[in-house]
Amino acid sequence: MIEVKEVTKSLPNGKRILKGVSFKAEKGDFIGILGPSGAGKTVTMRCLNGLTKPSTGSILIQTNGVTKDLACCNGKSLRHIRQKIGIIFQGFNLVKRLSVLDNVMVGRLGQINSFRSLFYGFSNAEAEEALEALEKVKIAHLAYRKVASLSGGEQQRVAIARAIFQKPYILLADEPIANLDPSNAKKIMKLLRPLAEEMPVIGVFHQPEIAAKYCTRIIAIKDGNVIYDGSPKVSDELLADIYGEELFQLDELVEQQSQLVVS
Amino acid sequence: MRFELTAYKKSFRKLFIATVFLFFFIASARLCRVDLGVFQQGIFEGLSFLSEMFPPDVAAFSEMIYPAFETILIALLATVFGALFSFGFALAGAANLSSPWLKTISRFAMAAERALPEIIIILLLVAALGLGPFPGVVALAVGCLGMLGRLYADAIEEVSPKTIEAVASVGATKMQIIQYVILPEVLPSIISNTLFRLEINIRLSVLLGAVGAGGIGYEIFYSFQLLEYERASTAIMVVLALVFLSERLSDYLRKKIATGGKLS
Repeated sequence: MIEVKEVTKSLPNGKRILKGVSFKAEKGDFIGILGPSGAGKTVTMRCLNGLTKPSTGSILIQTNGVTKDLACCNGKSLRHIRQKIGIIFQGFNLVKRLSVLDNVMVGRLGQINSFRSLFYGFSNAEAEEALEALEKVKIAHLAYRKVASLSGGEQQRVAIARAIFQKPYILLADEPIANLDPSNAKKIMKLLRPLAEEMPVIGVFHQPEIAAKYCTRIIAIKDGNVIYDGSPKVSDELLADIYGEELFQLDELVEQQSQLVVS
Repeated sequence: MRFELTAYKKSFRKLFIATVFLFFFIASARLCRVDLGVFQQGIFEGLSFLSEMFPPDVAAFSEMIYPAFETILIALLATVFGALFSFGFALAGAANLSSPWLKTISRFAMAAERALPEIIIILLLVAALGLGPFPGVVALAVGCLGMLGRLYADAIEEVSPKTIEAVASVGATKMQIIQYVILPEVLPSIISNTLFRLEINIRLSVLLGAVGAGGIGYEIFYSFQLLEYERASTAIMVVLALVFLSERLSDYLRKKIATGGKLS
């Protein structure tokens, strides 16, 4: 379970990107976060994984019955909590020159001790498990290929297999289908959906119709606030409300994101 | 430019540049005491000298095998140490892994090393460590830093920060990120650059031999000292073969890596 409480994030220049985002996600939830560019979706995602630190608020994550606040984690404790947060990205972000299987193994790096990882000490049982994860995303036959030789859809499946193998308590997906063609996008959504039965899955999407079709819940973020949290059957009025002014904010958005990288 | 130079002005400028150049040319020739007479004499002396070097002393060939081997070993050992040492500096000097101040220090050390010719380094080390192959190894290893460190660091900086972030997001330590992301991504470029450096080190190791680091370079130097020119020319032949072969081998291997041949 993950609970986001009143999370705010301000840039060094004082601009507030998140103005108090709160929501809760539990096992069984497949949440689609919608919102115009620059609304704070990606920042929310980055906060949920500790890649960005919220200015105020807390992100409570329950692992093994113990609740930890991600917003207060640093260094070692942050690494510790990240072991249990799976994340897949728009650009797949795999290690291109490693094999598919090795990339899946990387998912558990945080959980094995440094001595074992220094000697590539993954056990046969773990390799077996990694292969099972690949089977789940239906690319076990590619296990020994170099990632660089795979298509985008296949690479995203590797990323999902890595997250499955990681055995996280939460799975985050930052625009997982934005770089894929419609048919591959649907396949990836079909793979993500059943995962929600084992852990909350939270994804950022740019295609409201796809999110509405596969997600169990929609959260809309605009101007750093949650403006909708509920059924995936979103009305046209809401969509117009979410995306209405997007085009006029482009310049601001570019500036914001470049500042975000700095911060 | 706010106004166009006329054709006349342009040709005047060319003439002016040519005059300045000629002036400096003559001035430097005077400073270096260029004397064509020396050159004329030298040609004949050189030819007679060359004839003294001919024919090479075939009997000495067997004596050259061990020194040649030593030269290769010095170069090899120096390249291995140098590569490891440079990789450490490269990690510290790569913007995507290191902190800004550490990066600046490391990059400065590399640039400083590049500015020092190997011969200066060995003269310093001979003064500090004495004569022999070991100072040679150390000098060549240190000599790798400027070139290899820089090339490695640049290769590391090309690894996508997003991939690094993705692996960090599963809770991996910095060590693990280096091992599982950086190393596989930069390995082809590291191997290729290191082979190139090995080739350079074999040539330098011959040179360093002449200032006391042992190996085949020392044989050449020693033979000249004893006026055994035929023996020297045998040694030179061996050096030629050595350098040629090492270049062919490194070219072959590097081409194979570039075309994605299986090596690992």
